[in-house]
Parts: sequence; C-alpha cells; structure tokens
Amino acid sequence: MQIEASLWNASWATDGGRMQISLSYAPFEARYRGFDVARCSVDKSSDMNQFSSSGSVLKQGGGEEFSEELLLKPFPDRKVLAHFHFQSRAPHSSSHGRHHHLFPKAIAQLVKKFRVKEMELSFTQGRWRYEQWGGFDPLSSNNAKPPGVELWAVFDVPQSLVDVYWRNLTHTLSGLFCASINFLESSTTYSAPELTFKPSFGNLRYGTLPREAVCTENLTPWLKLLPCRDKAGLSALMDRPSIYRGFYHSQRLRLTSSESGSDEVDSGIGLEQTLTVVLQPSSWRTGKTYSVETNIQPSWSISSIFGRNIPGKCVIAKSSNVYLHLDNGLVGELKNLERENAKYVANTFESEGFQSNHAFKISVTPDKVFEEVDYLHGKSTSVIYGFSVEKYSDSQPFDLGLTWKIPVVWSCQQAPLHASRFLMGSGNERGAIAISLESTESSEGLPTSHIIDGRCELRVDIFQVVPWYIKVYFHTLQVFVDKQPRAMADVVDKIRVSPSKDKVSPGVMEMILKLPCGSKSAAFSLEFDKGFLHIDEYPPDANQGFDIPSALISFPSFNARMNFSEDEFLNNSPILSKFQETSPVLSYTEVLLIPLTTPDFSMPYNVITITCTVFALYFGSLLNVLRRRVDEEERILRSRAGRKAGWISQLLSRLSAKLRGRPQEQPTSSLPYSFISFRLVLKILLVASIAVTWQYYFG
Amino acid sequence: MMVRYKMHNSFGFKSLAAMLLLLILSSSTSYRASAETTMHTNNWAVLVCTSRFWFNYRHMANTLSLYRTVKRLGIPDERIILMLADDMACNARNKYPAQVFNNENHKLNLYGDNVEVDYRGYEVTVENFLRVLTGRHEAAVPRSKRLLSDEGSHILLYMTGHGGDEFLKFQDSEELQSHDLADAVKQMKEKHRFKELLIMVDTCQAATLFSQLHSLGVLAIGSSMKGENSYSHHLDSDVGVSVVDRFTFYTLAFFEKLNMYDNASLSSLFTSYNPTLLMSTAYYRTDLYQRKLEEVPVTNFFGSVMETIHTDSAYRTTFSRKTSETIMPLQQSVEHDESRQLINSNVQDQTSDTKIEDKQCPFTRRWNAFQDKLEKIERIDSLVNYGLIIMFPLLLISTWLSR
Repeated sequence: MQIEASLWNASWATDGGRMQISLSYAPFEARYRGFDVARCSVDKSSDMNQFSSSGSVLKQGGGEEFSEELLLKPFPDRKVLAHFHFQSRAPHSSSHGRHHHLFPKAIAQLVKKFRVKEMELSFTQGRWRYEQWGGFDPLSSNNAKPPGVELWAVFDVPQSLVDVYWRNLTHTLSGLFCASINFLESSTTYSAPELTFKPSFGNLRYGTLPREAVCTENLTPWLKLLPCRDKAGLSALMDRPSIYRGFYHSQRLRLTSSESGSDEVDSGIGLEQTLTVVLQPSSWRTGKTYSVETNIQPSWSISSIFGRNIPGKCVIAKSSNVYLHLDNGLVGELKNLERENAKYVANTFESEGFQSNHAFKISVTPDKVFEEVDYLHGKSTSVIYGFSVEKYSDSQPFDLGLTWKIPVVWSCQQAPLHASRFLMGSGNERGAIAISLESTESSEGLPTSHIIDGRCELRVDIFQVVPWYIKVYFHTLQVFVDKQPRAMADVVDKIRVSPSKDKVSPGVMEMILKLPCGSKSAAFSLEFDKGFLHIDEYPPDANQGFDIPSALISFPSFNARMNFSEDEFLNNSPILSKFQETSPVLSYTEVLLIPLTTPDFSMPYNVITITCTVFALYFGSLLNVLRRRVDEEERILRSRAGRKAGWISQLLSRLSAKLRGRPQEQPTSSLPYSFISFRLVLKILLVASIAVTWQYYFG
Repeated sequence: MMVRYKMHNSFGFKSLAAMLLLLILSSSTSYRASAETTMHTNNWAVLVCTSRFWFNYRHMANTLSLYRTVKRLGIPDERIILMLADDMACNARNKYPAQVFNNENHKLNLYGDNVEVDYRGYEVTVENFLRVLTGRHEAAVPRSKRLLSDEGSHILLYMTGHGGDEFLKFQDSEELQSHDLADAVKQMKEKHRFKELLIMVDTCQAATLFSQLHSLGVLAIGSSMKGENSYSHHLDSDVGVSVVDRFTFYTLAFFEKLNMYDNASLSSLFTSYNPTLLMSTAYYRTDLYQRKLEEVPVTNFFGSVMETIHTDSAYRTTFSRKTSETIMPLQQSVEHDESRQLINSNVQDQTSDTKIEDKQCPFTRRWNAFQDKLEKIERIDSLVNYGLIIMFPLLLISTWLSR
C-alpha cells in the first residue's frame, strides 16, 4: 500500500496564482490530516515482508517491464550500424487513474484517448543504402524508413470516426515530439491503403512528410519516454553530435495495444522504441596504422564511435544487452578465408575461439554466441555475440571493440529485387514517374518464389502515394518485363487506384504484381501533368521543388526472419525475438523532387500597383471630363478669394468704410436682413455674457 | 464603492444617468485596479526566429541564445514557446551536426541535449504567431504549443529576423506589420493574458514595429531606430556565416554576468547598449509601462523569480497583502480624479488618459473654479445692473457695424 502526494502549481490550486509555490524552498514537508483509510486486511506474514525486504516497488511495477538492447554490426562499406532497441510494456487497465512506474504516461494516455490499436512513427534522415547495407534481413525491413516523418496508425473506432481521431492524433504527436506532424491532419497528406500496406479494415491511415527535419529536439522527447532517459544504461551512449554526424539515422516508435481478454500474455500496451544509426568509425582515433591500407576494415569500439562508454545498465531495466552481429555474407567470407589458411583448421565457429581468430579480435569475451539456423539451404549463416551489461558499472564501463587483422570483403544479402524510382520528361508541364525493379544476385539462388499453376511467379506489392498537384494518368501505366513491353493483365494481378482530388485528397496507387521468376528486370511508368497551386499554397522555399513521398515495395512471399536454435535466452531478448518474427521483406524507394512552376512571388504586388495606377489615371481623367463645370469653378474661386481675408481684417475694412461713409461692396449675395434675426439674438447674448464676466472679474 | 456612489448623488444627477455612469466608471476602474493589483504569477517567453535559409544562421543562434538565457534564469521549457523557421542544427551545410554556436570560439553549444522547439519550419507563420499570442487555437492543438498565460503573467516576446519600416518578414514570404502586433497585444490585454509584456526585437528599423502599441503594461526594446540597420556581430569562418547579431550579442554579454539571484535592473540593461558598438541606436519605449525601470529587475521578464508569500497556516487563504495595501491610497486618488473628469466632460478615451492626476484638461479646471466663485457671489443684483449697462453700448456698436 502506498500513498502519493503531489504538489500542484496550477492556478486553481494556488488560489488564482496568488499563493505561489516556490521550488527553491524544497524539500517540502507534507502532512496528512483528517484522513481515514479503509483497507482490506492482508495476510501480514508473507506479503508485507516480501515487499519491504526487496524494497523494489519499481521492479514489481504493476506488471510493467522495460528492457534495453543494442545491436552493433559492421557493414561492408567500412561503416558500423548501431541499433538501439528499447521495449516497455504495460498491462491493460480498465481504470483511468492508473499509476505508471516505467511505462510513459503520455503514451498510455494517447493510446487510451485516441483508441490506437497499432501505430508507428519514424523520424529519419538519410537514405538506407540497400545495395551496401542489405535489404533482406529483419533489421532493414523493419528499420529502413523513408526520409522525414512516416506515420501510420490503426484505430479501434468506427470507420466514420477514423479521420477525426487521426487528426487529433497528429496534433498530439506534434506536441509530443516537437515536429510538425500536424501537417498530416490535412486530407491531402494522408491516405488509407487497403491492399498492400497492411491487412486493415478501413481503419488504417498512412501519411508521410518527406521534408521534415530531424534533429535533437525530436530525439530528446523520444528519450524522455525511457525510464532512465539518457542518464543511465545504453541510452547514455547517445551523444547528439555523434549520432547526427552519421550517414543514416532513424528513430522509430511503435505501439501495439490490445484489449484485455483477447490474450492474457499480450494484452496491454507494448511500446517499442528503436534508434538505428549508421556511423563511420574514424580509423585514426584507434591509433592503428591500418589507414594506409585502404581495403582493410576500420577498427572501432563503442567509445570511438560514440565518444562515450556504457556506464552499466539502467537499473530498472529487466535486461540490458549488447549484441554484435556478423551477417551471413561476412561469416561465409571468413569461413572461406579459413579454409584457405589450412593452419587455422582447428578454429571452427562452434568453438569458443572465434572472438580471437585470425581475421578480427573482439575486446570483450561474449557471454553468449547465437548462430542462425537455416533449414532451407546450406549457405552460411549469421552469428550474433551477446554481451550482458549487468556486471558493468560507472567505475568499470563497458566498451566493446572490434579490431580487424586482415582485409575482408563481403556483401550483405539483398532483397530479391532492387527497387529504384526516377522521373522522366522535362519541362514544367508534364512528366512521368518510373519504378524500376532490378533483380539482385540473392534472388537467383533463392527457391522461395511461389509456384502457382505450374508457373513460377514472384509477387511484388507496390504502394505509391502522389500529392494532388501531380496529376497522374493511371491509364498510361506501361509495364516492361526484361525490357519488353507487356500487357498489363499479364503482370498486374490486382490494382487499386484512387485518383487525386484537387486540394482534397492525394492519388493512391496499390498494385499486386506477379512477375515471372526468371525475369531480370521490370519497369513501370506513369505519366502525369503538373498542377498549379494557389499562390498561398506555395511553401516559402517553393523554388526548391516539391517532394513525392517514397513508394513502398514489399515482397510478401519472402520472409525476413532469422531462425535461431531454441534457447530460453532468446525469448527474453526483445531484439532477437523480434528478429524471429515473420515479416515480409520491405524496401522504400527514393523520394523524388519535382520542380513545379513557381510564380514570381512579387508579381501580385506589381500587378496591384500597376492596375491601381491605371485605374486611377483612367477614372480620374474620365470623372474630370464628365463632372467639371467651368463657370462654377470660377465662381467658387472668386468667393474663396473674397473670403480669404480673416474676419478681423474684414471687420476693420468694414469699419473704415463706415467711417469714410462709403458703402462697401458685398462679395456675396447678402441674405434678406431683418432686425430681430437669429444672429442678432446671438450677438446680444454674447455681449451680455462678456459683460457679466467682465463685471465679475473686475467688479 | 459606496463613497463613489454618494459622490454621484451629491452632484444631483438623475438616478439613471448616475447608475449608467457608475457602471462605466466602475468597470473601467476596477479593471485597471485589478490589473495593477494582480500578483505576478508566472513568467512566459515567446522566442521567435522568423528567417529561413542557411545564411540566416545568426537569427537562429540569436533566438537559441535567448532561449538558453531564459532557461538558465529559471523559466521552464513548458513556459517557453520557441519558434524556429528553419533547421540549422541538422542542416546539411552545418559542419557541426546537432550543434549551433553563437561565437566563433565554439565554447557553447546552444542546441544542447535538451531543446524543445514548439513551432518549426513551415509552421512559423504570421498566423501561427498571432494565434499563439492571442490564444485562439484549434481545439486539437496540444498544450505545449499554447501560451497559457494568465493575468498575472510576465511575458517576454523576443523576435528576430529581417524587418523594415513597420514590418517584420516571416520566412521571406509574409510580413507581420506593426498594426498586427499592436492588435494582438491589445487583444491579449483584453483577454487578461498578461500583466507585463516585454517585446524585444532585433531587426533593422526595429523601433518602427512598436509605433502602434497602445496597451498598458507593455515595454518594448528594439535594436535600431527608423532608418537604421541592425548588423551582425562577427563571422565564423568555420561555420561559414555570421553567427550572432550585435544587439543580441551585447544583450547576452550583459546576461552572462548574471545569475538568478542578481538584482540588475532593466534600466541597467537599457543603458548597457553602446550605440558605437551596436552600430545602431537601441530604442526603448517605456511610456506604456508604469513601474520605474530602475526598480524592476531583469529577472522580472528574463527569469522566473517570484515574490513568495509566507502563510502561517497551511490551508487558510487569509493572506496579508502588504504590497497591495501600500498602493491603495494612491490608487483611490486616481479614481477620484478620474470620476470627476468623467462627469464633467462625459467623454473618456480609455487609452489616452494614462496620467490623469497631473494633466487634467485646463478648461475643466477653469470651469470648476468659475462655478465655485459663482456660488460665492453675494451682490447679485448689482452684477446684473452693471452687465445691462455695459450691454447697451456694445449692442449699439454692433448694430451700427452690421448695418
């Protein structure tokens, strides 16, 4: 049992802000008064002792869990991948006022408020290089994301309400992650894929912002969702300058929530946060002289690539592990090298001597070695070394290093088809988008293509969203297989198109393709016209061009999963169990930059000034001609000249005329004069008042 | 209130008119009184960088420097609305990723590890800026993007970018005009969104942006007068562009010496600007601000230092308002004068009568004296006689003249 008190600084609690709480007077002492607790009687003997002796309410955590892991992987192009994986889980709660120990309250509230069933938000800068960094493994399928922001969410609400919930969700996320995700609320930016993206029933929404900047301000709130923030544990490695110096970084947040009752184990909210960074280890920092030899891989360590060490685990994490992943290409290459060097025959991978073999050296002895089991074909399999951070502390930080002894050249396993997309045509009026799929080496040896009706076919799904100002003509879809034009019906199995509506919705194209197995290449082209935007719709940097979001190419018949031999440890490690999940191979194409006709933005101003001048000249002169009366003008002029003299001088002149006895000429026609006129009465009153004042002051 | 009521009756107005006047009067005076007696509750800062593109790096560095300063002096992140029109820290042209410097010695990374940008990129528009100030948001906008100030708030509004005569450019595509700013501030005042507001602007011809301001409690500092430019301070050859503006540089130089507990006054900040170093004349408008600048510490706006009230009992809300008590007599006299003026002239301009007690309309004063003397006269018959006698010659002259 516990009692919690909170100090409120809201205006209602502080008597309209007059009773201020100053935190400089901390620590505070609080007393409870008039406080009556009704509690159930508990069996005193066992439970209470357990709680007090362990002293860890946190570990109990109301069923909440948190674990942190980091996976490091060398890439063939002398770069290193660092993949952080944090996972928290909270059990489902029916009550609203739940207390959160480890699980971020903001996320729990978000799930509850917007009825989110599943959601993924990613912030990415840079492009995942499928050729060099691989495209077949679960790591790239799950974590290679298009540049900018990508958000999709599945809602547990009726279809008519999904758009409203989506809009509110984008606003909340934009506040939570310091990004302009709220631009996704406009119906021109999001779409509802049905065929290719994920099995959904109309309650999925997908939107991307290709130009969204990603920087520290996005990472900081993301880190604040972790129970240890970036103060302890693996997240302490996240030195902002080192991360953003990388070639690719993608921070991702994935939410899954399930109602209670469906499944006892998985019910609740699961939060998976990953940060994937590709960094270039600087070889001069290690102090080795290998830099002269260009083909040797640079040696690196955690401290050399991040500039920091791991100061032990985050104490409230259930598990805290670091993995080093050598992919199957590399392992195969190492095996080949070993076979050549006959003297190292004794050194097999299964033995413990692998971490100090002839090719490289790992500075820390791994606690566990996992080897992938590939039942399908007898090719080489990848190896993962596991290191537990639990025994390290501030005084003895964890630092993993990899030193290469001999040059190794290998390549990562790629997706069956390498997808790229480009623009065709020139000019500001029309153009064409082309998606080309080139077969890669890896697909040739793979027997996983489906054989249907005696025909060997490869299924490819394409999901493409184009903004409304790119007006795509879907009837112009042309298909080329092995550079030969083919009829659409031969290749396209299913197609779903929702044409764009101007300023209302984007164009969406979803295609399910069945390509013949042996085909080397396939290409699709679509023609489009470029639309005109209203002057207010152009962004401030319109001359930079407009982005077409990445197309998503997926290969549902291929599964990006790794098989490990059954192990108790594997199920406790979120990152490895994630690798073992079946997921289709995915890849994103490049973002296209389209120049649109941009107006001269000073033009409206020029037009307004010119038209105003013309109008003024025209109407002014016309009015002058029509309305002008020459005699009247002269009369007015004359009268004005007569009136110009002030009334004092007029009076004087009249006085002098009177004195001389001559009648003065009257410039204006005088009014008929009567003795008892209004003017006279006024004059009398005036004189009387003057007299009274004079009398009063001087009398 | 009762005193005032009696006063009205003694003047012998009709009851309806008196009630009407009382209503107008009490609403206006009680509002003013509330604005003056409301305690300072919290501090907010709205920091805006309005310029896009890499060569405007210095504007973002200016804003982030101020962000760092106010955070250091105690305003928490949730009470800072930071608007940055472009991303400089992770810009592809930035040689130092995730870092922004305001000095070529690169000692201080302004971006740090804990920066919260509320509006960025295309979101920094005049519309959003005015929405933040006036609090007119869509319902879905999260709290972190709103200025949730109250009538006891002190707000610092800092803006930097490219400006001109009575305007400030937003992202090279829109302008904020001085009228827009003044209207927004007036609306804020009427919505009780601030007690005191300091507007600090670092642009060319910054002083012109304040020309339309009329709301009480507003203090404004600009980097340059009309017709003057605001210049950058120095170029960082590593970054490749100028990294800070002169006005902001010297403002920061002033603040770097301070901590939260210093009592440097606003006037010492204002006098610290040296026109020869600034290459422009810093302008400050104080006529709308009632307090003496010598007595107001800079932490009034740039920090979050508040007066604390100690109460003996924990839950009783009877607090001794000593500070407000001392102000009361003066305030009553103000009300008194004001009410009289209202009765006599029946016209009141809400914004113009800031200092009623010493510059009352001369005509009104004369009329009052005249009325007083009129009542004291005893020989009223002789007065009338004299008047009639004088009237005749005057009448004669005038008829003779006008014939």
